Amino acid sequence: MWDGLVIGGGIAGLMAGIRAQERGKRVLIVSEGTGSLAFASGGLDFGTVEQLRKIERHPYALLGETVEEAFAYFLQCCPSYHGAWGRTGMALTPLGTLRAADLLPEGLDASPLTHANRIVLVVPEGLKDFFPEVVKANLQKQFISSNIQLKRIRLKEFADWQAIGKPIPDTVYAKFWCSEQGRETLKNLIGEITRKMVSDSETLVFPGLHAAACPEVEKILAQAPLPVVEMTSFPPSAAGQALYDRLRGRFKALGGELLIGSGVERVEVESGQARRAIVKSKGKEISFTAKVFVLATGGFFGRGSVASSTEVRETVLGLPLYVPPEWSESRFLGEQPYAYTGVEVDHSLHPCDPVTGKVLLENVFVVGRMLAHWDPWVGHCGGGVSLSSGFLAGGLL
Amino acid sequence: MNRRYVRRDGDRQADNKLNLDPARGEDGMHLDACIKCGACTAQCPVAAVYPLFPGPKSVGPDAERLRLEGIALAPGCLAYCTNCKTCEVTCPSGVCITDMILQVRRQEQEAGTGKAICRLGMRDHLLGRAEYLGRLGTLWPPLANTVLGWKITRRLLEKTLGISARAPLPRYGRKFRTSDIAPVVGKTQSHGETESYGETERYGQSEEHGRGKTEHGCRKTEPSDRVKTDRKGRSTQKVVYFPGCFISYNDEATGQAVVKVLEHNGFEVIVPGFHCCGVPLTANGRFREATANAQHNLGLMQPYLEQGIPVIASCTSCGLALKEDYPRVSAPGAQRIGAQTYDLFEFLWVLHERGELRKDFREVQASLAYHAPCHLKAQGIGTPSVRILRLIPGVKIQELDAGCCGLSGSFAFKAEKYELSLQIGSTLFQRVQGGVKEKAFQAVATECGGCQVQIEHGSGAPSLNPVWVLYQAYGLGISSAIG
Ligand SMILES: Cc1cc2nc3c(=O)[nH]c(=O)nc-3n(C[C@H](O)[C@H](O)[C@H](O)COP(=O)(O)OP(=O)(O)OC[C@H]3O[C@@H](n4cnc5c(N)ncnc54)[C@H](O)[C@@H]3O)c2cc1C
Ligand code: SF4
Ligand code: SF4
Repeated sequence: MWDGLVIGGGIAGLMAGIRAQERGKRVLIVSEGTGSLAFASGGLDFGTVEQLRKIERHPYALLGETVEEAFAYFLQCCPSYHGAWGRTGMALTPLGTLRAADLLPEGLDASPLTHANRIVLVVPEGLKDFFPEVVKANLQKQFISSNIQLKRIRLKEFADWQAIGKPIPDTVYAKFWCSEQGRETLKNLIGEITRKMVSDSETLVFPGLHAAACPEVEKILAQAPLPVVEMTSFPPSAAGQALYDRLRGRFKALGGELLIGSGVERVEVESGQARRAIVKSKGKEISFTAKVFVLATGGFFGRGSVASSTEVRETVLGLPLYVPPEWSESRFLGEQPYAYTGVEVDHSLHPCDPVTGKVLLENVFVVGRMLAHWDPWVGHCGGGVSLSSGFLAGGLL
Repeated sequence: MNRRYVRRDGDRQADNKLNLDPARGEDGMHLDACIKCGACTAQCPVAAVYPLFPGPKSVGPDAERLRLEGIALAPGCLAYCTNCKTCEVTCPSGVCITDMILQVRRQEQEAGTGKAICRLGMRDHLLGRAEYLGRLGTLWPPLANTVLGWKITRRLLEKTLGISARAPLPRYGRKFRTSDIAPVVGKTQSHGETESYGETERYGQSEEHGRGKTEHGCRKTEPSDRVKTDRKGRSTQKVVYFPGCFISYNDEATGQAVVKVLEHNGFEVIVPGFHCCGVPLTANGRFREATANAQHNLGLMQPYLEQGIPVIASCTSCGLALKEDYPRVSAPGAQRIGAQTYDLFEFLWVLHERGELRKDFREVQASLAYHAPCHLKAQGIGTPSVRILRLIPGVKIQELDAGCCGLSGSFAFKAEKYELSLQIGSTLFQRVQGGVKEKAFQAVATECGGCQVQIEHGSGAPSLNPVWVLYQAYGLGISSAIG
């Protein structure tokens, strides 16, 4: 018997697991895949919390002060992240434009660029999905008075890749930067660039480095005499993956267990309580009993909800969903109502009947993208809602 | 001997069922579910270090699309996939990537395009047969180990057969034989197929326990008094144990530890004369032989399966094959094998949940790292050995989470793949070396014999099967790796 069984190991599920383990609970997370962190930028968006809180039924309206607590808790969990409540940071996109984000890993913070006279853009030869000319042009547009230069590097270690003309993923570069030889190369490279430095307001933009996420590389960057700014990347995103690895590592170090690769088929309910999660392992179904269950299956993207042409279904518990009357709107980039689909909950995240408002299961909490009445794209609050609802569930569990 | 189960040239109909279940329909492999996110390739340990391998997304769902249009991949493209199944575990959309890869490999083999070079054909023939090599090696293990230990032998093997001179070939030991612990109480009399092999042996009759003096430096054991018996003194709870080639030919001591732990929990352990599970054959492109082995083994299991007796595997690759591949073979017992197979620790955890696991643990002062073998992850049962070991007072165990070890059955033994295998495992080795240096742990526990060999080879740290910790906690003996 587990104290808590979390269904879905994305950011919301991991957060719930970490907080509950920290409170001395025994938690099992069962997750089909790695979740949307693997595609996300690695930065976390909270949106304008004060505004969103005023929207009736928005998760922030239910979560109240918890959002700010979760923000602080996350910083404590992941010391390599930075952010200040109420002040939004900036990160460079893979195309060299700026995007806002509230919590950023150290290297992704692009603020040093704003007062740089000279920006040196490192161009690792053959890096996949990296377009130096486009990045340079966009940087120039945003930092008109800066002098932007490209610094091409070609490493003999990647001769095999270059010989067949195959793009090198940032994760492969990362593995090299983390190796002893790679760290040496990195130090020399930074040394070479800074020797030619003319003023102290210079900044290095170095794509594909954040993926390294290893303490030795972080140390080299901290000691560099000029700021090194990194970039987010296209999916699959190494920075998102690095955050996933960190959270997973933290959860396991606290004694939690993660069963990944097979999903929960269904949860058996007896007299108003969820009892047993049935997992489809190879060859047979196995069951896990727990006192409390957390539903963190990620909405449409995580396949926690599926839609046919006539209905929308919650896949694990068969919970009734709030479904907006119209699903879509004709402007592609307009507000898309389907995004508000999800499970309605009370202040303690218990699932409720969308018609009567009655609590359906006392020992189930619903978190993250499974919640109704929010749109991460319009509200820019994907990370914030997922993080704070997971944090709350982990505290209640 | 019953011919039905040893057909080597099994008909194609049956053969095709090993890896593709026609009942799953046209999109049984969930091809349409692929959203082209690339997460599988980003996590593939081979694609990360070997640029010529296109990666699971390209050789799996992408190529499958083309294949449906009649366009085939260049032959040999797939040879570098180690079948570690990391891609499949990672995929958020449940695409059966390795099924696609294995199916193409099978077709390549049948069309004769996969194996261009005869010398390598011979090598795959040999490496696929861990079992026959094992039988040879265990005839006179000291001789086999000495000869294989000579540089000249290894250089010859590399030159003639392409078997790497530096790879960590596991040492041969005494053959795993049930009679080393308990006397053979009786050959099965009632079941036709089993009887004909005449090798079935049983444990669980308590009087002779504890004769096992093992190579892990185990102490003699006290007789077990836990075997539940009927009025005639026969044990009533039975399990069938599938030891697999590594236990059978390289590490019989661990096999005995498994048996004793099960006996300690009141089970009579039956070990029929199984052949190799077939995984090395599949990995070396010998699909027909793999099916024949499966049919042979299923024939031996069938009578026990019918009685509802569980089959226990301690090797995670054998276990995965029994759960995933065997149900697709056409043979009696195939319908039951998937549901009745348990990984050893999965089984012990089920006992624990039912309140039936013996918990007369002595304190074991051991701090361990745990490496989850790829084929355990693929079973979708979590990490039950960590759960069980954490029940033992004094044991500290922390998962490494550092990916694949790179050995992958016989992959690392191949001369052209040896270096690659070390690169694949480099993250794991570095983490192990770091942890040992900082005294975070003393040894690495992992269920897979291949992983143990590779971890010791790549990192220099000792590695052991987690069953030894349990063995020691039960007071059955001392394991040298944890002292
Ligand atoms: C492409 C993309 C990019 C994004 N970028 C950003 C960003 O840059 N910043 C930001 O703040 N937000 C971003 N978001 C939004 C934010 O990432 C999501 O709101 C948040 O990750 C949702 O977290 P979750 O834990 O609820 O779901 P997910 O992360 O989707 O996790 C759900 C998990 O549940 C598992 N699962 C589903 N069904 C089952 C089952 N039956 N049994 C077991 N497991 C199951 C899935 O495999 C998955 O692992 C992005 C989202 C997407 C899709
Ligand atoms: S097979 Fe799965 S992981 Fe790979 S690209 Fe397709 S959806 Fe993504
Ligand atoms: S099975 Fe392993 S080696 Fe083969 S493609 Fe998948 S991840 Fe790569």
